[in-house]
Amino acid sequence: MNQQSDFTAALFDPNTSVSAALKTWNGSDPARRFDVYRNNVLSALIEALADTFPVTQQLVGKRFFRAMARAFAGAHPPRSPVMSDYGDAFPAFIERFSPAGSVPYLADVARLEYFRVRAYHAPDADPLDAKALASHLADSERLPMLRASLHPSATLLQSRFAAISIWAAHQGNGELAHIDIRQPEQALVIRPALAVDVVPLDSGSWHFAAALQRGENLGAALESVTATVARFDPVASLGRLIQAGLITSLQPAPECQR
Amino acid sequence: MTIHLSPSYLSPGVSGHTALPARAGISLKPEHFRAIVETRPDVGFFEVHAENYLVDGGPYHHYLRRIRDDYPLSVHGVGMNIGGECELDIGHLERVARLLERYQPESFSEHLAWSSHGGVFLNDLLPLAYDQATLDRVCDHIDQVQNRLKRRILLENPSTYVEFEQATMTETDFIAAVIARSGCGLLLDVNNIYVTCTNHHLDPQAYLQSLPATSVGEIHLAGFAREQDAAGAPLLIDSHDAPVAEAVWTLYQTALEHCGAVPTLIERDGNIPPLPVLHAEAKQAEKLLQAQTENHA
Amino acid sequence: MNKQTTAAALALALSAGLTSIAAQADEMKGDMAKGDMEKCFGVAMKGKNDCKAGAGTTCAGTASHDYQGNAWSLVPAGTCMETESPTSPTGFGQLEAFEEKQS
Repeated sequence: MNQQSDFTAALFDPNTSVSAALKTWNGSDPARRFDVYRNNVLSALIEALADTFPVTQQLVGKRFFRAMARAFAGAHPPRSPVMSDYGDAFPAFIERFSPAGSVPYLADVARLEYFRVRAYHAPDADPLDAKALASHLADSERLPMLRASLHPSATLLQSRFAAISIWAAHQGNGELAHIDIRQPEQALVIRPALAVDVVPLDSGSWHFAAALQRGENLGAALESVTATVARFDPVASLGRLIQAGLITSLQPAPECQR
Repeated sequence: MTIHLSPSYLSPGVSGHTALPARAGISLKPEHFRAIVETRPDVGFFEVHAENYLVDGGPYHHYLRRIRDDYPLSVHGVGMNIGGECELDIGHLERVARLLERYQPESFSEHLAWSSHGGVFLNDLLPLAYDQATLDRVCDHIDQVQNRLKRRILLENPSTYVEFEQATMTETDFIAAVIARSGCGLLLDVNNIYVTCTNHHLDPQAYLQSLPATSVGEIHLAGFAREQDAAGAPLLIDSHDAPVAEAVWTLYQTALEHCGAVPTLIERDGNIPPLPVLHAEAKQAEKLLQAQTENHA
Repeated sequence: MNKQTTAAALALALSAGLTSIAAQADEMKGDMAKGDMEKCFGVAMKGKNDCKAGAGTTCAGTASHDYQGNAWSLVPAGTCMETESPTSPTGFGQLEAFEEKQS
């Protein structure tokens, strides 16, 4: 007997019915009552997506968003009972969703929103403090050899569009009308303490952070970015990344990897 | 068929866990984290949904730690899939076990329902066909959970909207059988009784009286929404987005007479009002709890 | 860039980082003293697991918008169409952090 299989299939497909297995005290059509479960399941998934992606919803309007979320929920129902993770595949779904094609930056705004939720629930860690930093500075010869551990909540986001400014405009920062949507942007999403920050980064800072994330030591990261990014300002970049809490510790790379 | 050894943690009072106080508690919502920490209201206990705290770090754990240090805590699972046809998700059970080890709550409860199938989580409490096969399955799953968590769990009676042709038992007979076989306790959701009885044309007083009073470890009170079925008969929805209804307060009074003063939760999951509004509802429950205690003394 | 210049550039850059986190720590102490914890804590995100039921039979579950083929009739109609400044902060406690870091 696969009653729960049939029930599950009918929850997502309004054209199938499990009415034959159901009864009601007054002989009324059980399909109407089954719709309560359909509604519960679908509306809870749509609400969960609307909670995680509020700016994505504002950008396309509630009606469009809900219909798109409904299509996503049918194709990608949750695989885990922990709903805070739900929606990681939504940005990629949006990217392929042709009715949203007129809003090319929508998927990247959704990525930014998902990274914020992920950062919110990520493991806690203390950013590098002034004392530890000062002790490394006392031995500046060795600085290029140091490798950085990055904050576990940190995600680097790169968009071909002005997705970060568009998101920020919905937080009351800047005006949509003044944004050139074709301007590529980068940001760091991070939760150094209890609040999630979205830190816009210039191209050099982004590439420097990406090099650290790849495991390059400070010297190698500095050299590779200086070589590829024009007008790279290491003082401003590293200062900003440290201030954002990106680096949790600096330590020498293992001997064999120097 | 599982052999039942009746481990000591299944006897109430020797569980190694302090019981929740016979007071009124409220659902802990993130919207109220700061207000609770800052105003420290005189609330009997707080209850959280386990799945919301199965995350690595961040504000949820920050605040739960602080609040748990000051208040008794109940952890209420919504994703264990006790009634599922598939095997329990062992990874999920392990994560819940670690959460309980971390916070040592006074109580852990789950639902008489299913919520996952074939690896898909449906995020709802779905109804069961009450027959022998379902009874065996539910009891096996409860055994598995109680053995892993090393504690007696409470199982909540559901709100349902449909009944199954294949059912051979009433819901109350089914629940009584689960409790007798598995040794778990009952989380008596008075709102669910009212909703279910209205939806299936049953007498809520009779439903209540046919449940084993001494197994009740906690009571839930919540609000419902009103709809109609295809024949125009009332169909109540367990929406948790409104104050407790008058009829449910009346039924709560009967429940207290039936089971004595039991820790009682004001559950709210939608249209979350400011903390003092929920606290006022908790105080209303606490008045009835106190009256019950005094009547008995 | 030779080894010495690299080391010197890094020392300079890290010193800037040191100055900025020292300033940040002072600012934080000031906020704590003022009792202004909003900045440190942010606003809580909603929990997504609960045991409530949705609002009845009318309904996301039965509405079907088939976006395969030509049946999909909806078009994006939100702030993506706007040319005016939106005034719809979503209340995540991010305003200050963003402004501060953008400037």
